[in-house]
Amino acid sequence: MASKEKKRKRVVTDSDLNDLALLSVLNQSCFNYERMQSIGFTAGMGPALKKIYKNDPKTLSKVLHDNLEFINTHNTLLPYLQGLMLSLYEGGEDPETVKKIKISLFGPLAGIGDALFWFTLLPITAGICASLSDQGNVLGPIVFFLVFFAAFLLRFPLARMGYKTGTKALDKLQENTKRVSNAASVLGVTILGGLIASYVTLTVKTTIDIGHDATVSLQTDFFDKIMPNLLPFAFTFLIYFLLRKKVNTTVLIVGIIIVSIVFSFFGIL
Amino acid sequence: MEITLLQGIIITLVVMVLVIDRHLEALFIFRPIIVCPIVGAILGDLNTGLVAGGMVELAFAGIAGIGGASVPEALLTSVMTVVFAHITGNNVATSLALAYPFGVLLQFLWTVRNTAFVSFNGPAERYAKEGNIKGLFKLCFYGIAITSIATGILTFLSVYAAQEPLRNLVQAMPDWLINGFQVAGGLLPAVGFAMLLRVTLKARYIPYLLAGFLFATFIQIDNVLPVAIMGLAFAMMEFYRSGDKEVALASGKESEKSGI
Repeated sequence: MASKEKKRKRVVTDSDLNDLALLSVLNQSCFNYERMQSIGFTAGMGPALKKIYKNDPKTLSKVLHDNLEFINTHNTLLPYLQGLMLSLYEGGEDPETVKKIKISLFGPLAGIGDALFWFTLLPITAGICASLSDQGNVLGPIVFFLVFFAAFLLRFPLARMGYKTGTKALDKLQENTKRVSNAASVLGVTILGGLIASYVTLTVKTTIDIGHDATVSLQTDFFDKIMPNLLPFAFTFLIYFLLRKKVNTTVLIVGIIIVSIVFSFFGIL
Repeated sequence: MEITLLQGIIITLVVMVLVIDRHLEALFIFRPIIVCPIVGAILGDLNTGLVAGGMVELAFAGIAGIGGASVPEALLTSVMTVVFAHITGNNVATSLALAYPFGVLLQFLWTVRNTAFVSFNGPAERYAKEGNIKGLFKLCFYGIAITSIATGILTFLSVYAAQEPLRNLVQAMPDWLINGFQVAGGLLPAVGFAMLLRVTLKARYIPYLLAGFLFATFIQIDNVLPVAIMGLAFAMMEFYRSGDKEVALASGKESEKSGI
């Protein structure tokens, strides 16, 4: 930053950064369609901002007002962004510049966060823990809780990282994220293959009478002979292609229930 | 079996706490894998809760309301899956399909809430102008309290007040209809998996998908952990290879186009 020369009086302490990490949970408390997380986002930085602008209520209200603009980012990574912004405000950076930095960062941060948490950590943890739960093993929910509790604790070092290392860390994060998320995708996709085989159930009940009291079961004598779990695999891909055709999830789910009932009525499934 | 008033109240109170976590996405104790065993334990049937937790979690694994997208809510579906299994004695798969509409109900409630909370933006601007941090916190508190109370009311009505009509409804269902719900319960996890595939699958990941699928199809395993370990092996191979710059470049180009 060009303004590094500006005199920098440190008022934000480690304990302020811990508070910041803790208050970051408020991010979605007033979630709404107009500005999404803005109110919780601003409130979370409030106490620290008040400290920074103790003698400058005019700038405080400008900064608070700035932050009430639309924002939608990832909740766990948020303290990083907030810590970074605090260090800039504290260093005397022009609030307009900080605003621009915020606007340019919250989107990519959401992208990284969603890729790591919703699309990688959650399905992998869920897949492993659910198969434990499935056998009545309490370790399922316990391990799940521990993993996500650890993820929650990440907020504390993230707040410090944002405050101390600034945008440099983001470049590094983004760089490493690419490599890590590629490897994580491989792990995730492998598990998905296993999950499809283990947890999607589709068994055809239709039997064909071939005379002399002999019948051929479509499932055991035909589909299973080709390949066990063929139908669950095909069905999952059918849903996959429908999703790519932008069919609404709720519509899909209701559709599956209706079609299942119809096929059940005719004794096919 | 019946749900007593006390059980109804306890479940409602627990949900009122869990929904705060759902709203804030902090600890992830709102996920089915945690919610179902808790509700099961309250109803005196931890085992059903655990089994339901695994199944509902997978059904919702890929269904995430990212960026404010509106999707069925796993929380109330989780609660009602265990409730249906308890009051009707049906298996978990059937109960999951029966419980789905309740997730859609909560989804509607969210939509109303997210629209209503737009009205918070006016007061928030006023507080900002005054430099009133406490005022902003007050709004956060209202947001949390309203979400918790509204969900609590919906939960109590679904879990306790409606149990008699729900049981009668399910008992009046002919066998083919119950079987239809069970078939649907077996298929619903495919939606979650397909949603995950949509965001993760690229052409060059297909070999891994097939390997995982074949492993779980032909090797007798109790849970998916061995598949995960094989996946970890693949992931490490991929990670170390991507250290090689040329491969990294090539994969960078590949990742531009997603899907097959």
